[in-house]
Amino acid sequence: MNWRVVLIAFAAVAAVALLAWLLQGGKPQIEQAEILEVEELPTPTPAPEQRVILLFAGSDGMLHPELRSVPLPEEVHERIRVVMDELLAGPRSAPRLAPPVPYEASLKAVFVDQHGNAFVDLTAPPEALTGSSTELMLAYSVVNSIILNCPEISAVQILFGGHEIDTLTGHLDLSRPLVLNKRFIAAS
Amino acid sequence: MKRSLQLILLSLIIGAGLLPAQDYDRTLEFHFDDRAIVVPKFGPKVEVLSILELLGAEARYSPAAGTYGVLYGEHVIQFAVDHKVLLVDGELQEARESPSASPQGVAVSLSYLERWLLSPLGFHLEPIPRGYRIARGARFAEAVSVRPVAADFGTTTTLVLSLNRQAQVEIEETEPGSLTIHFDNATPQLDSSVPFRSRRVRSLTSTDETILINLAPGIGLISWHPLETPPRITIELGPARPTPIPAPVRAPVVSRTGPRPVVIDPGHGGDDIGAQSPTGLAEKEVTLAVARRLARTLESRGHAVRLTRDGDQSRALTDRTALANRLDATVFVSLHANASTVASVAGAETYYMSLDGASDEAAAATAALENRAGTSADDRSPLDLILWDLAQAEVLNESSRLALAVQGRLNARLGLRDRGVKQAPFVVLTGASMPAILVEVGFLSNPSEADRLTQPERQQQLAEAVAAGIEDFLGR
Repeated sequence: MNWRVVLIAFAAVAAVALLAWLLQGGKPQIEQAEILEVEELPTPTPAPEQRVILLFAGSDGMLHPELRSVPLPEEVHERIRVVMDELLAGPRSAPRLAPPVPYEASLKAVFVDQHGNAFVDLTAPPEALTGSSTELMLAYSVVNSIILNCPEISAVQILFGGHEIDTLTGHLDLSRPLVLNKRFIAAS
Repeated sequence: MKRSLQLILLSLIIGAGLLPAQDYDRTLEFHFDDRAIVVPKFGPKVEVLSILELLGAEARYSPAAGTYGVLYGEHVIQFAVDHKVLLVDGELQEARESPSASPQGVAVSLSYLERWLLSPLGFHLEPIPRGYRIARGARFAEAVSVRPVAADFGTTTTLVLSLNRQAQVEIEETEPGSLTIHFDNATPQLDSSVPFRSRRVRSLTSTDETILINLAPGIGLISWHPLETPPRITIELGPARPTPIPAPVRAPVVSRTGPRPVVIDPGHGGDDIGAQSPTGLAEKEVTLAVARRLARTLESRGHAVRLTRDGDQSRALTDRTALANRLDATVFVSLHANASTVASVAGAETYYMSLDGASDEAAAATAALENRAGTSADDRSPLDLILWDLAQAEVLNESSRLALAVQGRLNARLGLRDRGVKQAPFVVLTGASMPAILVEVGFLSNPSEADRLTQPERQQQLAEAVAAGIEDFLGR
């Protein structure tokens, strides 16, 4: 191979690269998107243990309190998550008390607005639930347990599967945040 | 020589391949002021966090909440992967689609980006050859065409706004002589192809999500109605009232002849079967059977009675109360059979409405709409609200008396476990302008109670007990 041909070939590659560089010159500086850092997880120092009040359904169709000592963070979203995780784990005094959410559910997301309204998103029921009692127990165990343990929260709206719903079994108005309702808590 | 040319050509092709190529099928450029970024694209969605950062917004993921928080000036937006709902400046909103997880965090569609993340912060997208420029000024993605037509009568004017599609609107008289029509998630575009003339309307102006109507002096809003097929809004204009007229709680009857009826609502119906007993008995059948017996019992004692359904039909919850309001019913009784996840729970209970700060606005709005035949709930003054509150407190007090009377008779006649009278914000009781209760006649989830509820004798006993409670309340 003639060395001159090779030289011309390299010169051609260089010319194309130079042309490309010149073409880019008049445009805004393009930056590659940066990967944003995910907010750091809470520090390893555990939150102080505090007593939480959790409400579970009793055989009388009323809510009964169960007290637990758990590490309870100060930050409101984390606090709601701890309360909900404890609630969804079910009562420790089963079978006297029953879990208020009658299917395997987890907390998907928590939104909190500046007016003290919390919006908690639970797994949607795998099949339609029925009965006003079922609906009242589920709603007020969640609403009351959050409000009783999170002083910043004054009302709670429950979302299911990422959606707002009007009602769960056709009785209770779940389309807006519910406030504390002690009428469904059994008298001690 | 020919071989040399081939080599040069080959080198040019290789050289072109070495260019810093940008794959426009997989990336989009986003420009803001003098900066630009290239973000990955996944089908119709784009990585969003770097776009928000480009604007100077702070976007962070909170593991505790499971949500992304966007902070920009006074604005706070919270959204989550696989969630259509999001919180925009404290308002819960539902988008048409949800964000998705992506390698760098989260990806959203361009319409989601513009409608829910950029517009609330005061930006919109403008297409450019390889992507979008983020420009200042909110713009909502969906437009709705609005064609105004007016007819002037003696002292009133009917203004009809024809829409090219259905849209949620609210109208308020922001100040004397000035109306604001708020469009939910839509940008109204006034269609001026038809000449618009009215001696009582000075001007119509459309902005981002509103139409502002300037009225002639002394003219105000009388009422408005959103209508379907075709979608349109009718607005009645007339002499402005010097002082607001309070919303009457007991409305003039529009579709009733004869005495005021007792309205009985057999719960559920149609596709909504309600609860079911272990043997398959549906709540909708029990409630209809008891309701028919209750109707016959009351009629035999001289009461006028109307059922919200007299067959296996679906009825919207709000339509059931609305019927009672339209008929100016003496009382409204919704019959249900209960279910619990705990099979041993048994007994009857009676509910009346609880406002509890949860539904009072909705109740006020519903009642005002029904009682004033379409007048906006938003044209209520503080005085209206106080009067409405007082009236509603009176209705609640009466509902409580009715509930106690019915529950007392159920306890006395049936020997059921007394589950008492309770309050809860039930949809079917929302907005009732007369004493209204919901009676749970027993638990279908309890096998022995479900068995009793199938028996005609038991159904008749229940009907007679509820009828006696209603008569106790009505003083007969």
